[in-house]
Amino acid sequence: MIRLEHVAKRYKMGEVVVTALDDVSLEVDKGEFLVVLGPSGSGKTTLLNIIGALDEPTSGEVHINGGTVSLNSTGDRFRFRRETVSFIFQTFNLFPSLTALENVQFVLDMANTSDSTERARDVLASVGLGERVNHFPHELSGGEQQRVAIARALATGNPILLADEPTGELDFKTGIQILDLLAHQAGDGKTVLVVTHNREISRIADRVVELSSGHIISDGPPRTGKAAIADLQW
Amino acid sequence: MTNMTLWLRWSWRDLRARWLQVVAISIIIALGSAMFAGLGGVEDWRIRANDLNYARLNMYDLRMALSDGSYLDRDELASALADIPGVARSEARLVTPTLVDASDGGEALVVRGEIVGVDVSDGGPHVSSLYVREGAGRTLAEGDSGQPVAMVEYHFADYYDLAPGDPIRISGDVALDYVGTGFSPEYFMIIPETGMFFGESSFAVIFVPLETAQQLAGREGLVNDVAFILDEDADSASVQAAIEARMEGAFPSTGYAINAREDTQVYTTLYKDAESDQWMFNALATLFLFGAAMGAFNLAGRMVEAQRREIGIGMALGVPRRWLAFRPLLVGLQIAVLGTALGLLAGLGVGKLFQGVLEDMMPLPYWEFSFQFGGFLRAAVFGILLPVVATLIPVWRAVRVAPVDAITTGYLVAKGGGLARFVQRLPLPGKSFVHMPVKNVLRSPWRSGLTVLAIAIAVLIMTTVVGALDTFLATMQQAEDATLNRAADRFLVNLDFFYAANYSGVTGIESLAGADGEPLFTGFETAMIVGGWLIHGDEKIEIALELHDMDAALWTPTATEGALTADEPGLVISDKAARDLGVGVGDRITLEHPHREGLLSFRLVQTEVPVIGIHDNPLRAYTYMDMNGAALMGLEGQTNYLILNPAPGVEPDEVRLALLTQPGVTSSQAVTEFSDAVDELLEMMTEILAVAQGMVVVMAFLIAFNTTSISVDERVREIATMFAFGLRIRTVMRMQMLENLVIGVLGTIVGVALGWIVLNDLFVTVGENEIPDIGFVVTMSAETILLAALLGVVLVGLTPLVSIRRMRNMDIPSTLRVME
Repeated sequence: MIRLEHVAKRYKMGEVVVTALDDVSLEVDKGEFLVVLGPSGSGKTTLLNIIGALDEPTSGEVHINGGTVSLNSTGDRFRFRRETVSFIFQTFNLFPSLTALENVQFVLDMANTSDSTERARDVLASVGLGERVNHFPHELSGGEQQRVAIARALATGNPILLADEPTGELDFKTGIQILDLLAHQAGDGKTVLVVTHNREISRIADRVVELSSGHIISDGPPRTGKAAIADLQW
Repeated sequence: MTNMTLWLRWSWRDLRARWLQVVAISIIIALGSAMFAGLGGVEDWRIRANDLNYARLNMYDLRMALSDGSYLDRDELASALADIPGVARSEARLVTPTLVDASDGGEALVVRGEIVGVDVSDGGPHVSSLYVREGAGRTLAEGDSGQPVAMVEYHFADYYDLAPGDPIRISGDVALDYVGTGFSPEYFMIIPETGMFFGESSFAVIFVPLETAQQLAGREGLVNDVAFILDEDADSASVQAAIEARMEGAFPSTGYAINAREDTQVYTTLYKDAESDQWMFNALATLFLFGAAMGAFNLAGRMVEAQRREIGIGMALGVPRRWLAFRPLLVGLQIAVLGTALGLLAGLGVGKLFQGVLEDMMPLPYWEFSFQFGGFLRAAVFGILLPVVATLIPVWRAVRVAPVDAITTGYLVAKGGGLARFVQRLPLPGKSFVHMPVKNVLRSPWRSGLTVLAIAIAVLIMTTVVGALDTFLATMQQAEDATLNRAADRFLVNLDFFYAANYSGVTGIESLAGADGEPLFTGFETAMIVGGWLIHGDEKIEIALELHDMDAALWTPTATEGALTADEPGLVISDKAARDLGVGVGDRITLEHPHREGLLSFRLVQTEVPVIGIHDNPLRAYTYMDMNGAALMGLEGQTNYLILNPAPGVEPDEVRLALLTQPGVTSSQAVTEFSDAVDELLEMMTEILAVAQGMVVVMAFLIAFNTTSISVDERVREIATMFAFGLRIRTVMRMQMLENLVIGVLGTIVGVALGWIVLNDLFVTVGENEIPDIGFVVTMSAETILLAALLGVVLVGLTPLVSIRRMRNMDIPSTLRVME
């Protein structure tokens, strides 16, 4: 359902041309839990941004569900992000002046969902925050904030979840809880892409794509086989 | 840390990163500084010019004017007033009202005026001298004595573009030889009796040799006015007492009034105006600088917030707080210096421009414009100080934060919801897109409050300035309505003396016919008008008292309280006079009025009379009495004032020209000329106010722009997140506009409220002191409030549109990374 064909991304920084991605081709199936692994500067976030139509490739094409995202107009890319993909960020990026409930309700209102308040409440309950709906982000712990962010990403039912270092700001135990939520989404039929530098996290994926200097250096199941979330240690 | 080059380079980058906001704040600082610098010395210029001109033109120190209708032999008067201790010089004059016809073939130009007969012997007059500019003809010479030679006062001549040689005729259709256009210190402004400003279009002063004036008035050898210059060290009160003693001894039955130059309306207006105008300029400039200070405060707050981690890192490295504060303070100082430097430069231009305005609006023989170092210094100090102090506050707060809090990133930063929690309880309609802008306003109540205040200041300035025009217009409209409520076409004709109502010269006017032989008038009334004073307690008000047969008059005032007649002679006074005197209908007050003592002598006497009515004209001087009050003045059956109704189809010019030929007519004026004068004045005021309005609009836009761009800066990650979730740019723009609208509405409400308070204070306090003769109807029209709403709500609400390009071009991925 996600297909990248010879995608490259280059930036000009003064006189220097930086190649973030170089001739990357990739296919991701529906319902797959994919981890994109790589050190800092490997291009993994750039890859995620291109898939999510936050950025455009310098060359190559991105096809999602049969449509060519990379050739779309600005308006079409905005619609794509409303209806097809949902982001989860390392630093959560919640709206500070909205409560947890309202942060989730926001995306539902954007989608013109009629019972947005109830739906938001349900989604927050599904991520274990049923009692914290009226709290502002600064009143929530890091893990709770990330749960709100996940709830926001899940609320509209978009088929693709893109998570950039979702456990980067969290402690181990909280991180495990977040990964568990994400893994469940894949089990429910959503396509989940997680970007991380943490090799341990890649053990729970269906598939691991490893990047280095903008190239895919490996693509396949976890080296040591797919592990249970409970087995993770970092 | 002492590497100044590094700090300067670093702060230069800070400036460049926010260059639009820096420019916006600098412009506001420049506006304020330019006003302080360029206009800071206006009072000094005007007072110096006043002093200089009064000195060079030998303005009198004391003036004695005989009561209306009184005349004395010149030689006898001179003998009686000779050698008074303290008097350096005195000169007798003859001042008589007249009609002036300056028509020149085209449209008729006939206005009221006065003939001032001056002593031209030995190069005179030496008291209240005359001055003629180069190219404007010549002044009067000794050889002109007894000849029909005239010098026309500058204001009237300038208004109608008259020049020496143009035809001038006066009452009785007497032609004068117009030899020069000149100034007299007694007429540096032309203010008619009603207290209206800029009466130069409807009042002409003609200077002629004394002997000529005596011949023209049929008062050979007589005078009615003496002007005195005192010795440097003379005590004015003592000299006045000495004059009074001499007059009491020599002419006990002749009334007179002695005024010092400081008592004249022209003098007080020239000096007080300078003071109050300066106050206004300084207030405007201060408000501009205050607006800039708030802009600087906002920007500094944003900058230190953006540099919070850097400040924290510095703290972790052991950098002293004062050096951490140095970088944002340096930016604040640079903005202040930039704005002030621009302002000082602009101030030079503003000052130069205003010098031209002053010379045009207040034409005087001599102007000296010295460089106003004080004004520029004040501009420099305030222009730099206010924004720097404003920057200090957020910087001081930022460096007081605990290092661990300063260095913390992302979600761990405690950003409170401010007052946003309270909005949760409000049942706001619509989606979360509507709630978020409101919550954003409430999230930072302090900063939102300051922005509201900044907008309010811009609205306050505008509503005060435009509201002043509204007030003036409403007041003049009320005055116009009061005078035009009936017989709106009537003519008011002044005679040079008191005549019996059945005198042929008077009845002859009634029967005047036009070129077609038909009567010019269908209505004719003999009335009376005298000058006088109302006195109650310590208050004394100068008035123009009109006496009419209230039962038969062509026009009567409208009594809003009381009545127009009573069993005994009583006064119908203006509401302003009633308030100033602290009296109402039924109260008794003292009327100081002329009383006929002899054919050519009147004496001022005081009579206690009741107030029987209050009329609706806001001009305080207008006072009315039934004709039965003429007995108080010894003028029963007399008239000096005619009210005429032109016949249908008779044009005003025809009336004026016909009256010009009638001996004894000193002025004729259509009652509608009042409205014409007001319209002219309003046009001039509107042009001046348009400049102030323009500046205010610019200031409001800059404040709103500054606020919006800071808001976008602060919320750039939120905005990027919204874009990441596919929220359309136009939806985000609408949210920004809604947030600005909330701020704009609050700012407008506060600004209009404050503007109303300031307007009332201005007209009640300043108006009472500066223009006591007018009872202003303080008004802020619906159009003004609408204009305030356009400025404070619509303009502010639309300002986010300037950020649309920035949003369109936003690099979303970069923005979503941790931005510190």
